[in-house]
Amino acid sequence: MRFYSSRAALALLLLLTPLTLLAQNFLLRGAVRGSDGSALPGANVAVPALGLGAATDADGRYELSLPAGRHRVVASFIGYKPVNEDVNLRANQRLDFTLSVGTELQEVVIEGRGTLEQKLQTTQMGVERLSVREAKLLPALFGEVDILKTLQLKPGVQNGGEGTSGLFVRGGSSDQNLFLVDDAVVYNPNHLFGLFSTFNSDVVQSVDLYKSGFPAQYGGRLSSVVDVKLREGSRDSFGIAGGLGLISSRLAVEAPINKGKGSFIVAGRRTYFDVFTRQINRLNDDDPDYNPIPDYYFYDLNLKANYQLTDKDQVFLSGYFGNDVFGFNSTRGFNFDFHWGNRSATARWSHVFNPRLFTNTTATWSYYTYSIENKLDQFSFGLGSNIRDWNLRSDWEWRPNDKHVIRFGGSGTLHHFGVGRLQAQGGSFSIGQNVEYDGLEGGLYAADNFTVTDKLALDYGLRLTGFQSGTNEYGGVEPRAAARYSLTPRFSLKGSYALMYQYVHLVTNSGASLPTDIWYPSRLSVKPQRSQQVSTGFSWLIGSGKFLLTDEVYYKWAQRQIDFRDGAQLFVNPELDAEFLFGKGWAYGNEIYLEKKEGKTTGWLGYTLAWTKREFEPQRGTTGINQGRAFFPTYDRRHNLTLVLLHKLNKRVNLTSSFVYTSGNPTTLPTGRIGVQDVYGGELQAVPIYPDRNSYRLPSYHRLDLGVVYKLKPWRKIGGESDLTLSIYNAYNRRNPYFIYIDEVRNEETNLPESYRARQVSLFPVIPSLTYNFKF
Amino acid sequence: MKTDRGFLRMLERMKRILNNPDGRPGARAAQRRLMAWMLALTGLLTGCNLEQNADVDLPVLPAQLVVECYLEAGKIPEMTVTETVPYLSTPTPTILTDVTVTLTSPRGVTETLRFQPGQNPDTRKFFTHRGTRRLSIQPGDTWQLTVTDTKGRRVMGTATMPATVPIDTIEWMFNNRPEPRAMVTVKFQDPPGVGDFYRFQVHNDSISDDPDVEYFPEDRLLDGQLVTLGTSYEFAQNDTLIVSLFHLDQPYYNFLRSINDAQSANGNPFGQPAAVQSTVQGGIGVFAILNYQRRLIIVR
Repeated sequence: MRFYSSRAALALLLLLTPLTLLAQNFLLRGAVRGSDGSALPGANVAVPALGLGAATDADGRYELSLPAGRHRVVASFIGYKPVNEDVNLRANQRLDFTLSVGTELQEVVIEGRGTLEQKLQTTQMGVERLSVREAKLLPALFGEVDILKTLQLKPGVQNGGEGTSGLFVRGGSSDQNLFLVDDAVVYNPNHLFGLFSTFNSDVVQSVDLYKSGFPAQYGGRLSSVVDVKLREGSRDSFGIAGGLGLISSRLAVEAPINKGKGSFIVAGRRTYFDVFTRQINRLNDDDPDYNPIPDYYFYDLNLKANYQLTDKDQVFLSGYFGNDVFGFNSTRGFNFDFHWGNRSATARWSHVFNPRLFTNTTATWSYYTYSIENKLDQFSFGLGSNIRDWNLRSDWEWRPNDKHVIRFGGSGTLHHFGVGRLQAQGGSFSIGQNVEYDGLEGGLYAADNFTVTDKLALDYGLRLTGFQSGTNEYGGVEPRAAARYSLTPRFSLKGSYALMYQYVHLVTNSGASLPTDIWYPSRLSVKPQRSQQVSTGFSWLIGSGKFLLTDEVYYKWAQRQIDFRDGAQLFVNPELDAEFLFGKGWAYGNEIYLEKKEGKTTGWLGYTLAWTKREFEPQRGTTGINQGRAFFPTYDRRHNLTLVLLHKLNKRVNLTSSFVYTSGNPTTLPTGRIGVQDVYGGELQAVPIYPDRNSYRLPSYHRLDLGVVYKLKPWRKIGGESDLTLSIYNAYNRRNPYFIYIDEVRNEETNLPESYRARQVSLFPVIPSLTYNFKF
Repeated sequence: MKTDRGFLRMLERMKRILNNPDGRPGARAAQRRLMAWMLALTGLLTGCNLEQNADVDLPVLPAQLVVECYLEAGKIPEMTVTETVPYLSTPTPTILTDVTVTLTSPRGVTETLRFQPGQNPDTRKFFTHRGTRRLSIQPGDTWQLTVTDTKGRRVMGTATMPATVPIDTIEWMFNNRPEPRAMVTVKFQDPPGVGDFYRFQVHNDSISDDPDVEYFPEDRLLDGQLVTLGTSYEFAQNDTLIVSLFHLDQPYYNFLRSINDAQSANGNPFGQPAAVQSTVQGGIGVFAILNYQRRLIIVR
C-alpha cells in the first residue's frame, strides 16, 4: 500500500484540527469487494480532503493511517461505481467496501485519477499494473484478448515476433521473465509459438509487470516479474460469462459457497481449428494423393475457490490445466502426436494477527511438459521433457508505525528437471534414456518501505538466495533499493537498484518460445546468471492531474548469459553442459510514457530508445559467437513507439485503436553460397554460408489495430448483458516481415538454377474478427 | 487479395515439410512441422499470398576456396574445386584454372591430380581435377589433401577410412491397404564404443536421383546393439530399391549435418543459422574416404 500527501491539505488540517487529535493517527483497514463478493485488487481507497490514499493488495485489502476525526472515505475501481463512507475515527477501525458495476465513463474518471497519483507517489519504478478491463477493450488478433500482448504495448517491453506473446523486457531474454499465476510459476505461458498466451482473460483479475526495482519478495529471474492474479468468483450470486470468437469459445461459471462465505469460479476455453481442418480432410477422403491437414487445438481450464474461515482467516485454492495438441496420421502409416502444456495449483492461507501484522502461507505446484510420439507399425519413437516444482512460501507484512511497512518471508522450491526422455522400440531393439536432475532453491527476504518525510520515501531490502543440485551449491546476496523524492506535489524524482540471480535456464536455440525448449538447472559448469540494473527517472502529473508523464533511464548488465555453439545437440543429451557458451550482456535505454486515464478519451503514448548487446568470447574449443565480438540479439530494437487510444463515443459504443512502430529485429541472412554435389544421386545443392550472427536487420515493423465494442441491449429479466467486439488487426494491411529467406528460381525447361532472390514472408495481413461476449 | 502461384508454391513447400521435416522424428522436426502448419493455415484462413520479393543488401565477403573430394578404394580420385559466391549472384559456371591439388597416401607418396574438368559417367558428378590411377585404401588409412592457388590460398585436409560395418539383414513387408505399400527394414551390428556415425539411404531405381529415404543415425544411444533402421510404408510392389549404409567418421558426419542445418535455417524463422563445419582447413568443404555397404532389392 502506498501513501500520498498534499501539503495544502495538511496545512488546512493543522488549522482545523485540535492538536491533541492531530498527534494521534489510527489505522483504517478493510477490504474492497465487488458486488458479487470477489476481492478487487488494485482498487483505490482515498480520503480526498487529506490527499491520502492507498491501493488494495492482491486480496483486496487496504490500510490507511489517518488522523483521528471525521473523514469521508472514497473507494473506487475501474468498471465500478465509487462508494463514499463517512467514518469517525477514534481507534483502529475496520471498514469494508462493496462496489457495484458502473458505467464505463464513471469508471475511467475515478480509476484514472487515483491510479496516476498513486504512480506518482510510489517508490516503485518500472512497474505496470494492467487491468483486464482495459485489455478487453483493445483490438486483438483473431479477437482473442491477450494480456501479454497488451503488456507488449508498454514501454520497455518487446515481443518475439509478429503476433507472438513472448516478452523481452529491457534487453532480457524470454527465459528471464518470472510468470506467476496466483503465486505458482508458469514455465511456458504460450500456446502455438506464443500466438496466444495461457491466460484466459475471463478469469484474470489483474497483472503487475515489474521491469526494475524488483521488490525483495520476488526472485529467480533476471529481467521481469509478471504477477497474474486470478479473479475470485461471486460471493452472492450464480453467474455465467463467455464468448464466441473466430477461433475459440470460452465459458466461465461462478457461484457463492455457503451463503457468501466463499465462492468459486471455473473457466475454460478451447480453439476449433481442428473442426475445420477435419472437415477439409473428410472432403478429400477419396483422393489417394491427399495428405491430411494435421489436427491442432488447445484448451485451458482454470479453477479458483475461496472461503472466509473467520474474520481473520481466509483460504483459497487455484488451479490451471492447459494443453496444446498437434498430430496427424499419414497415409504412409506414420502417426505423429505432439502435445505440451502447463498445470499448476496454489493453496493459500491468509491470517490477520492484528491490524498491523498479517501473513500469507502459500503452497504451489507447477508442471510443464512436452511429448512427441511417432509410431509406424511396430516401431515407435518418443521424446519429451518436463519440469516440476513444489514450492512453499511464507510472507509477512508488519506495520510497526505509520512510517514503516516491513515485509519479510521465505520460500523453498523443490525442482525436478526431466531434461530429456527418449524411448524407441522396434522389431529387434528397445532403447531408452532419461536425463533428470533435482534442484533445491531457497530464498529469504526482508524489506522496509520507509516514508522518511512527506517528500522522501525509501524502499530497501535484501534477498538471500541459494540453489543446490547434486553436489553443486550456489548462493547469492541480492540487495534491492528504491527511492522517491517529491520536488513538488506533482513532480517526483525516482531511482532504483536491483541485483538478481537466476538458477534455472531455458535451453533454446531460437529467438522465440517454443514448446520444445528445455529448462536446465545450474550445475558445475553452468553457473547462475546474474544481473544488476540501475534506473532513474521522474514522474510528473500534468494537465490538472489528467496526464502522468514518466521518464526512466536504465542500464542493466548481466553475467553468465547462456547461448549455444553452432550445431549444438540439445535434445536428450546427457552432456548438455558441453553445448553451452557463456558470455555477458548489457542493455540500456530510455522510456518515455504519457498516460491519460480520465475523460472520454483515454490511453497512452510510449516511446523507448534502447540498445541490447551480448558478447561470447572464444571458449571451450570454439571461436565463441562472432569471434568474440559483441552482437545484437534478435530482440534488440532501437526505437519502439506505441500509441493506444480508447474513446467512449456514447453509452453503447467504445472505439479503440493501437499503433505500434518498432525498428526491425536483427536476423542472420546468408551472404554467400557454395555448391555441394554430394556422393551419389540428386542435383547440385546450394548451401548457404552464414556470416556473423544477427548482422542483418529486418525492415521496420508498424501496425494499426482498430476496434469497436458495441454493447447490446441488456437482458433485463435475467440481469444479463452482452456485447459485440469488432477487431481489425493490421488495419492498413502492412506486410510486416516475419522472416526473409533466399529462394532459388529454376528454369522451367532445364530445371537448372537461374537466379536467386530474397523473399519476405509475412504472417498476418489485415484480419477482421468479431467476438460475441455475454454475461449474466 | 489474389491467390497466386507464389502462394501455392509456399503451400506446397509447407506440405513437404509437414510430410518430411528433415526426414527425422525428433524435436526439431516437430517444430518445423508445427511451423509449416501455422504458415499454411494462416494462408488458408486469410487467402492471401504472404510472400513478396525483398530488397536486401548483403555484404560481399572475400571468396574462399571450396573443395569436395570423396575417395573410394579401387577408384580413380576425382575432386571439385570452386569458390564461394555472393548468395544473390546469378549462377554462372566458373572454373578455377590456377589450382594445384595434391593427394598424399599413408606411406607419404604424393600425387598431383591433373586439372581435367569433366563429368563422371557413372555418378554424373562433375569434377575439376582427376588422378591417374586407382587407389588402394584400407580401413584405418589416413590420406592428406592439399589445394593451393596462385593467389596464395591454401586448403588442407586429412581423412581416415572408417571400418566396414556390414548389413546384417534387409527385410520388407506390405500393409493391408487396397494398394499395398511396403516398408523396408535394415539391420546391422554397431561396433562397440560410442562414436560411430551412419548415413542410411534408400534409392528407388537409380542412385543418380535423390534418395527416397535418407537419414543420419549415430550410436550415442545404440552403442554395440543390433540396430534396425526403417522406412515408412512407401514402396510399391516390384519397386527396385538400392539400400546404402555408409559408415562415417565424425568430421564428415558433422559436415553433412551442418549443411543440412544451414539449408534448413534458410526459410525457418526458428532455426538457428549454422555455419558449415568443414573437414578441411583454410577454406570450406569436405575431404572424406567413403566406406559403404550397398544392396539391391526388389520388393514383391
